[in-house]
Amino acid sequence: MTDSVVLVHLYPRRMNIYGDGGNVLALRRRLEWRGFKVETVTVDEGDDFDFTRADLVVAGGGEDRSQRAIAFDLVGRGDAIVEAVAEGVVFLTVCGSYQLFGRRFVTVDGDEIPGIGVFAAETVAGDKRMIGNVVVEGPWGRLVGFENHSGRTLLDPGQATLGVVRRGSGNDGSSGQEGAVVGNCFGTYLHGSLLPKNPDLADDLIRRALERRSGASVTLAPLDDAVERAAADRAATRP
Amino acid sequence: MIRLAVAIALGRLAGWVSKALGRGATAVPGLVAEKIHPAASSCLAATLPEGVVLVTGTNGKTTTTRMLVTILEHSGKRVVTNRSGSNLGRGILTAMIAASRQGRLLGDLGVFEVDEAAVRSVAPALHPRIVVVTNLARDQLDRYGELDTTAGHVARAVGVSEAGVLNCDDPLVASLGGHPGAVHWYGAVGAIRDSLPSDPALHGGGSAPAVIEPDALVEESHPDGDGQQIQVRIDGEVLSTRLHVPGAYNAYNAAAALLAAARLGVRPEDAAAAIATMPPAFGRGQVVEMDGRRVKVLLVKNPAGLNQAIRLLVAEAEPHQVLLAINDQHADGRDVSWLWDAAVEELAHSPHRFGASGQRAHDMALRFKYAGVDCWLEQDAKAALSRLVHDAAPGETVYLVPTYTAMLTFLELLLPGIPREEAWS
Repeated sequence: MTDSVVLVHLYPRRMNIYGDGGNVLALRRRLEWRGFKVETVTVDEGDDFDFTRADLVVAGGGEDRSQRAIAFDLVGRGDAIVEAVAEGVVFLTVCGSYQLFGRRFVTVDGDEIPGIGVFAAETVAGDKRMIGNVVVEGPWGRLVGFENHSGRTLLDPGQATLGVVRRGSGNDGSSGQEGAVVGNCFGTYLHGSLLPKNPDLADDLIRRALERRSGASVTLAPLDDAVERAAADRAATRP
Repeated sequence: MIRLAVAIALGRLAGWVSKALGRGATAVPGLVAEKIHPAASSCLAATLPEGVVLVTGTNGKTTTTRMLVTILEHSGKRVVTNRSGSNLGRGILTAMIAASRQGRLLGDLGVFEVDEAAVRSVAPALHPRIVVVTNLARDQLDRYGELDTTAGHVARAVGVSEAGVLNCDDPLVASLGGHPGAVHWYGAVGAIRDSLPSDPALHGGGSAPAVIEPDALVEESHPDGDGQQIQVRIDGEVLSTRLHVPGAYNAYNAAAALLAAARLGVRPEDAAAAIATMPPAFGRGQVVEMDGRRVKVLLVKNPAGLNQAIRLLVAEAEPHQVLLAINDQHADGRDVSWLWDAAVEELAHSPHRFGASGQRAHDMALRFKYAGVDCWLEQDAKAALSRLVHDAAPGETVYLVPTYTAMLTFLELLLPGIPREEAWS
């Protein structure tokens, strides 16, 4: 265990299409503003990395081509990631990586890209792109973001979610569900970026990571989130 | 023939009606004519004795098109072009209708900027002699889905042209080189290439192949007042010229225009002299006076463009007032995630003072906060512009960095009553 909080950006080269770096930045800044040292690590295909050394891991979205390119590498890390999730390492997966953290993704051509099965979910390519501002209500309060995906993610019964869609399509455009949560591993279609405009969720990820490190319960020092909340309020009202 | 005449006449009429009603819809004539005669563009383009050149890509279309038109006009050609930046099929047809008489175009050749998604259907209709491709980076994914899809559209356009004029330093554009027609390459020497923002993530993770000897190579490029002094080697001949538009990225646009002009038979030294006469357009570095201050306007549409503006500001040693105005209309892109893809952190140690405005001023302010940059916030365009200008001393230059629809709002505030076409050309 080092002094620094270890923040991992997984596949930044290929899976960073909707400002996913904003999620990494939000976590880093919110830790630094509270006096923590942060070590940011990027892990691309082929890079050696022990995920149990990580405190927080962020993975973003990518185009179909990028998804195919990383899928093989991800499956190779599957067991290690499943083990890290079981140990309580905090993961945030957005869009394309969320899909691959489910069991599988069936593309438009009927090809199957295997996932690593952290989430009890499967994704099937749809013929309609779901694009627009999204508002979700759930255990993390109101979450605001932007979605842009044609994959429809179907959850098994009992798979926990980030909440109920109040605006937008969410996982599949019909169930009213958005995202998936297993232990400290989160999946969602919301970008925008997600964490800067949703500081309560960002802080909950940080709290979980710090509690795993210390083995004790953690209360975070509050920050002034007026700018964050104003941006979220504004985004929630945009067409 | 009769049908084409009817289509043009009704298109014109619809344009007049729409103008009379005070609607600024620049593409109405083309929209109406297309409905009546779906092949109107194709028929009109066929009347141009020297054919059509298309300019497409993510950034730099408007400037490159204007540069090429300037060069050709200086060489005595009559050029039909879409000056208003209305660059979908119907916008191009509108420009043709305006330049037509009795079903024929009054011009020697056409040079049109085309939206990188629309080019898929526009190119086969116009049988272009040359398709110029500036670059392909991430832009408004909520409109176009994926970058690979856009690259496919552009590849198809290059495939139906006689020749491509392609940027060999852009990985996705370089990958378009394997088509049956001729390919002419342009690029820049390493030092200039590396001064451009090259976030591989903006290019779908590819890396530029080590091309070959480009036909046109930017060898030097450095700021010179409000403009840019450049040196380009074309087919072995070295040319120096001064552009009235700022930034290394405009050296690329100039190389593209000079190379296309050379392939159209213009002598390179004449082209270089002509390009030096082109004034900057509104939103592309044009300076507008307001209350004794100089307002320099830099349009941004996507992370690559914002990074270009950031590089320009970082290179400015003197402190300036800077306003970023971010809208999220359809034309800007509804999704403002792209703000997080740009290297805003590079501004953290600059001496400038920043403001945020537009419909998503709060998102811009948030982006600044996480980049460690202080900023003021004023959502209202008029109030924000007033603050930007009056926070500066008389005679100083301030920077206005808006997205597309925000730019139109500021255009009306800075140059009231000026028609959009005029501001653009």
